Amino acid sequence: MASTQTLSPRTSMTATTLRTQRAAKLKHAVPLYLMLLPAIAYFVIMTYYPLAHAVLISMQNFRFIGNRPFVGFQNYVDVLSDSEFWSSFANTSILGAGILVIGFVAPIVIALSLNEVLQSWLKRTIQMVIYIPHLFSWVVVGGLWIYMLTPDGGLVNTVLQVLHLPQVQFMTNPNLARWVLILVTVWKEVGFNCILYLAAIVGINPALYESARVDGATRWHEMWHVTIPMLRRTMKVVGLLSIMGLLRLFQQIYVMRNAVIEPKVDVLMTYVYDKGLQQMNIGQATASALLILLFTLLLTLITRRLVQYNEL
Amino acid sequence: MPSIRRILAVLSTSALTLTLIGCDNGSSSSSNSGADANEPTLTIASNVVGGKNPQEDQQFAAEIGQALHCKVNFIHIPTDYDQKLQAMLSSGQKLDVIYTTGPNLADMVQNGEVMDLQSKIQQSPVLGNPKVVPQWEWNDIRIPQTNGIYAVPVKYQGALMPIVRQDWMNELGLSQPKTLNDFYHIFQVFKEKKGVYGLTLSQLYDIEPFMSAVGLKNEYVMVNGKRTIPYATSEAVPVYEWLHKLYTDKLLDPNFVTNSTADERNEFLSGRVGMFVYWDAWVPMLNNLASTAGAASTFDAEALPGAVGPDGKVLVSKGDTSVWAIPKNAPHPDLAFKFLEWWNTEAGEVLGSLGVKGVDYTVSGGKYQLTEVGKAENMDHGDPQPISSEWKNPFPALQKGYAKAKSIGVQYGYQPTSLPGWTEAQKIVWQYGEEAVLGKLSAQEAVAEMHATLLQKHLVDE
Repeated sequence: MASTQTLSPRTSMTATTLRTQRAAKLKHAVPLYLMLLPAIAYFVIMTYYPLAHAVLISMQNFRFIGNRPFVGFQNYVDVLSDSEFWSSFANTSILGAGILVIGFVAPIVIALSLNEVLQSWLKRTIQMVIYIPHLFSWVVVGGLWIYMLTPDGGLVNTVLQVLHLPQVQFMTNPNLARWVLILVTVWKEVGFNCILYLAAIVGINPALYESARVDGATRWHEMWHVTIPMLRRTMKVVGLLSIMGLLRLFQQIYVMRNAVIEPKVDVLMTYVYDKGLQQMNIGQATASALLILLFTLLLTLITRRLVQYNEL
Repeated sequence: MPSIRRILAVLSTSALTLTLIGCDNGSSSSSNSGADANEPTLTIASNVVGGKNPQEDQQFAAEIGQALHCKVNFIHIPTDYDQKLQAMLSSGQKLDVIYTTGPNLADMVQNGEVMDLQSKIQQSPVLGNPKVVPQWEWNDIRIPQTNGIYAVPVKYQGALMPIVRQDWMNELGLSQPKTLNDFYHIFQVFKEKKGVYGLTLSQLYDIEPFMSAVGLKNEYVMVNGKRTIPYATSEAVPVYEWLHKLYTDKLLDPNFVTNSTADERNEFLSGRVGMFVYWDAWVPMLNNLASTAGAASTFDAEALPGAVGPDGKVLVSKGDTSVWAIPKNAPHPDLAFKFLEWWNTEAGEVLGSLGVKGVDYTVSGGKYQLTEVGKAENMDHGDPQPISSEWKNPFPALQKGYAKAKSIGVQYGYQPTSLPGWTEAQKIVWQYGEEAVLGKLSAQEAVAEMHATLLQKHLVDE
């Protein structure tokens, strides 16, 4: 009791001090929170509200004007029982896997190769050349490749003709067209990822290479046992971003598809586009878009767990 | 002081964010600012109709406002129109007049989103006059399911027909083709004598003049109340076989699967192909372009009818109608209808074709003169060829080949029946049809698979 009596004023003092400190911190933080407000408002207005509204639309027989009868999960049932949705899902998986694997390996190989180039002007030139396609829109890139691959007058077939090789119908052979889409996507984006790897390579501690050399490592050993392991963090980031974008493939398909190859290259996002904006079935299109969002979320969570993303 | 800095930082961040959010979305909204404040505001959503830039849109809106004694909010969306219109309507934006096309109109009618205008049209001194809008135009936009008329045509829609290098035809002594064999012969001669492809296509968008040889119409045809697609029947097999023969004999441009219509025009203008299928209104435009774009001085594009069918008739398909419609929730439906009437008067026709007075053209002593802007804009502000039979283009010299082309469209043109589902059905028709032309499937197999897929997806009834 005696001790309580002696401690009480101190406790009271400590509580008052804490309150004062908290108030001071809060006062200090208020402007920061206020500065965050526009960003929060942006996400609420531009992302979360439309998302919540999309959930509502996906459960309606949507009309632009007039009533919109509630149909429960019918739109989801229609999407999941539509063979076209599943063929688009299969195409997305095939194209996505191709883009993911080749698009993951290619920039690493190029970055490692560029790192071996001694002349800095040559290195910079190559870097710039491979980065330029990333700056162009898909309308330009798609149109360019369609033109280069055309059977009559296209650059590729003209070269084949000069070499006395048979003409190839790249954009009317569905299997070849898949490869074209994979490789063109990689070609467009490889420069961007390559720069991320090059930046990571520059950041590797030179002492690690010196130690490796002292231990008798060759250039190959240095690359294999020092450079590549040190790129692990960048690889995780690039890999995760690629996976998150996997189900959102759209622009290149939209620009480069034609009736003959559509069954083999139409992806989930073109399904959404066709349902919503071509066939004006907004309810079904929204339901399929939300399913894609769900798939992406699942894929991202699984990938994060597998690659132990948090343990960089 | 520090707190002032913080407040300024907060304000500037907010301002920046709001600026970024409010960035341009590709469309422009123009109003006639000089109007009386008490006048109602007519809100028009347009795609192809309007000026070529926001300033011209404003002048365009002013012309309409002046004529109708109202304020005009002219929302001009040149790209991704359907998507943006859908976004506006679904977000509750009230519009008085919307521009749309036949297939979209059918969907809107099905969803009860637009007003039935039939009785108003019948009572209208302008729109009810068959000289202004002939009966066949109304028949073309009538919705078969309800037998109602929900829109007013924006322009004479025209038809897709073969356009040929008439100067080559004359030079090589070729006469107007009537059968598929005649067309084949012309293509063969073009290839041999001129070293060019006879024909180019843009996918199967434009094969109706050849399907005409077997009397088949494009899109849907209702047979005993059931939906059929003639291109997916065995009667179409000979035409797919003929197109495949053109392809294997290198008379058909092998790029046809990936060609856009702009590619077709460029190939034709640059003399790499002798014939393509395109709009009648483009015949004079091609001739005008050829004279300014360095094509051969002898260049002469002329339209031809399609192949003669078994019953002696020729078919060429008209385009999806471009129409003005009034949404059911339009705030000023009467004013909106007044605009639809005015659009079909001479003043409206001049605005839709020549453009804005003082900007695109001038009138001196009753004589029209195109300005440099007007010349560059090629007399097209959404209504290059008004429907009215009373309309006479004041620049006949710039209309070379149009009279013949239009007469082909009027004589042989029909409006395809656009039913909901055609967009999806078209993908299937084109996929198998193109596989037949490329020889990946025989024509019989392609048609059988096409028909089976359409049936399976409930896009045809039999």
